[in-house]
Amino acid sequence: MKVLFAFLLATAAMRGQPGEVKPHMLSNGLKVLVQEDHNIPNVAMYFFYRIGSRNERPGITGISHFFEHMMFNGAEKYGPKQFDNEMEKAGGNNNAYTSQDVTVYTDWFPGSALELMFDMESDRMRALAFNPKIIESERGVVYSERRTSVDNSNQGLLREQMDAAAYIAHPYHWPVVGWPSDIEAWTMDDLKAHFKMGYAPNNCVMVVVGDVTDDQVMKLAKKYIEPIPSQAPPPPVRTKEPVQIGERRITIRKAAQLPIQLVAYHVPEAKDPDTTVLDVIDAILSSGQSSRLYKRMVDKDQIVLNVNAGGQHNLDPGLFTFSMTPRSGVDVAKTEAVLFEEIEKLRTEKVTDEELTKAKNQLLAVQYRRLKTIAGRANLLGNYEVFYGDYNKLYTGEQDINKVTADDIQRVAGKYFVATNRTVATLLPEVKK
Amino acid sequence: MKRLLLIFAIATTLSADVRLPKSTKTELPNGVVVYFMQKPAVPLVNLHVIIRGGVESEPDGLAGISSITAALLRKGTVHRTADQFSAELDGLGGEFRAGANDQAVIANGEFLTKDFDKGLNLTADVILHPVFPESEVKKALSQSIDGSRSQKDNPQAAISQYFRAFFYGPAHPYGRPADEASLNRIDRYKIVEYAKRIYTGKNTIVILGGSFDMTAAQAAVTKTFGEMPAGAAYQWAPVRKPIAANRLLLIDKPDATQTYFRIAQPGISRTDPERTTLQLLNTLFGGRFTSMLNDALRVNSGLTYGANSILDLQREPGALTISTYTRTETTEKAMDMALDVLKGINTNGITAEQLSSVKAYVKGTYPTQALETADQLAGVLGDIELFGLNKGEVDDMFSRIDAVTLAQANAAAKKHFRPENLTFVVLGNASKIRDVVKKYAPTMKEVSVKEPGWGL
Repeated sequence: MKVLFAFLLATAAMRGQPGEVKPHMLSNGLKVLVQEDHNIPNVAMYFFYRIGSRNERPGITGISHFFEHMMFNGAEKYGPKQFDNEMEKAGGNNNAYTSQDVTVYTDWFPGSALELMFDMESDRMRALAFNPKIIESERGVVYSERRTSVDNSNQGLLREQMDAAAYIAHPYHWPVVGWPSDIEAWTMDDLKAHFKMGYAPNNCVMVVVGDVTDDQVMKLAKKYIEPIPSQAPPPPVRTKEPVQIGERRITIRKAAQLPIQLVAYHVPEAKDPDTTVLDVIDAILSSGQSSRLYKRMVDKDQIVLNVNAGGQHNLDPGLFTFSMTPRSGVDVAKTEAVLFEEIEKLRTEKVTDEELTKAKNQLLAVQYRRLKTIAGRANLLGNYEVFYGDYNKLYTGEQDINKVTADDIQRVAGKYFVATNRTVATLLPEVKK
Repeated sequence: MKRLLLIFAIATTLSADVRLPKSTKTELPNGVVVYFMQKPAVPLVNLHVIIRGGVESEPDGLAGISSITAALLRKGTVHRTADQFSAELDGLGGEFRAGANDQAVIANGEFLTKDFDKGLNLTADVILHPVFPESEVKKALSQSIDGSRSQKDNPQAAISQYFRAFFYGPAHPYGRPADEASLNRIDRYKIVEYAKRIYTGKNTIVILGGSFDMTAAQAAVTKTFGEMPAGAAYQWAPVRKPIAANRLLLIDKPDATQTYFRIAQPGISRTDPERTTLQLLNTLFGGRFTSMLNDALRVNSGLTYGANSILDLQREPGALTISTYTRTETTEKAMDMALDVLKGINTNGITAEQLSSVKAYVKGTYPTQALETADQLAGVLGDIELFGLNKGEVDDMFSRIDAVTLAQANAAAKKHFRPENLTFVVLGNASKIRDVVKKYAPTMKEVSVKEPGWGL
């Protein structure tokens, strides 16, 4: 698998081959990563702001996500609707996402729109407008988003309840979209304070991949973004989640055809070396139809419709979560017991060399597929820079994965997959009256 | 002044056409059509296999057999058990997916270039030599029945199925989503018979894309797929046009706190001569963030997180559908507003500025959607072959877009975006919205989400 990332390191931008990633730092503290790629005449430009729901507090939960919406509602030069109107007229489109840790703005456009994008992105970074009427209308939009992704989604609702139970102190306790009462209540002052805290250039990483040259990008970055002054970054998140000292359980009854079960264990932050081991565990347990959980639970015992495992890669310690949908008529105690049995095997028996090699090949191939598009590469580069502190970790990820041994897996499973460290959340179909 | 100049500059740049990368096409003696398209940017190779037929080819009463058969391909062959296939595939970090759409089964295998031979062997084995073991058939059917039930816990997935059943009706193949009853009628014998009829050389298109050695790949793919029995070509049924009728289906989900709704009328087929004009119009109407629907229902009024319209382009004419949701209390307001937007485009048409914006948008976003990766390009080539188009589908795309005049667009808006004879499908808390929605149609049918099936 050595061939995998080698092509990314190529120094010359051969025809149809992406060039080297070039890092720059503007004098105001904004980090820029540029990768030329002339495969198609398009560009992916991503802005990673280091602000998310972990930077909130009770009373303003969900405000980072609300801001993600407000960033499209007008600034000093480009008024309401203009960001989208001008961008689409120039052949581009965009989206954005907010997580517990970051807010990311994703622009895709033809190379010809590069200067327009710098003009508009710097406009909203520097001088966002706060129009009370638009704020009220956008509150409705965000509430609709919450209604769709949480209130009317069994999976979303259960996940929210599970996070709230798994974290009792750390800000990961509350949902990214925010509690309903906070969505209804945050004020203009809250919004202005949050913008000032999160949207400074020194709190941002910009990644540009595609049909551009490094010179072009840096000239425009210096012209449009460098004059924006830096500000004090968000204060550090002080609260650390205390060690969990006993299993927590929640059960929801709701109209449903089938139950859903989630089981979450606290695990370290993305930067911790154990994260790579947990990724390998994830692959062994649930990646592909030859994975342990698929084979046992979906295929052999036929007790679940689907089963997944996966760790979040967070700035602060996150969760490794198992999720499954039991088949109709199957007792949730049974599916839970089988899941725990499979987890226990990781603690008591060593995985085989064959399984380990397979998991490594799968992880490397998945990572590789993410690099097929300019959008995928912009996202990965930004994520590595923000979550691992250096985009170069993207290249050494292969070595880290290859270093994982069967002993590591047993040690890591033994350390985190213990009953006192877990939260079990179950959604059961309502009982007919 | 600056903005005007900017538009001019962009229009000039974008008029440079896009081109379909070079490919080689071969027809094997057994009828299999093979394309080879090199795209060496990343060392991956993609094998895209298309079998004509899809949902359209499902025998009466056996809705779902096309998908089930596709899902069972990997579950045992003459040479491998299901477990062996999965172990080998995962061991290489390969990917294999197979599923059915309205007119074809698409099976796609992707491997590292260094694993080309193994990847070809694995993918071809499941297409050419599936055995459909009885135990696997039973398992897959019972999983599908539960899967179909679990879709009802997801309102957006559920309304799509109810919509197809109600809009096209049971006489049309697009109107028969698989349900418990149809899945219960399927068995191994029927699957084997169906596969024998459909998985033939004359129905198969193979597209090899990505990074590979041309000479070696041509020899290997030709030899492997040359072994497929020629069989008979699937005979497409005559095209059926869906009915334009004012009717309403209400699906009761008592715990819903918002109402999901679709408003639809007959659209056009994938090969309709007016497709470019309608794609532009639909993008303006509900196909991008600044679209008329999203602007009205989301941006201006905060009634929803998103409102859009779908122009479903299949072999047979599909639907032109408005799709959105809003909280239960604003159901009427949102439905009225969606209808007003529809009346607006029909009555007022679009402006020259809107037309120029949407032309730039469709051209500017096309490369990332269709031309960037080997698998995207395989999809494009597959469509060309499946629908009897030619490379002009890509090469002339920008000139076709440029050629659409405002008069043509406005005539098409009047003809295709009709404000009457509309089909409504509404999912929500019926006790709260029944009296509100009955005004939209002279006939209203109501079903409960708890009942099996999709309201047929």
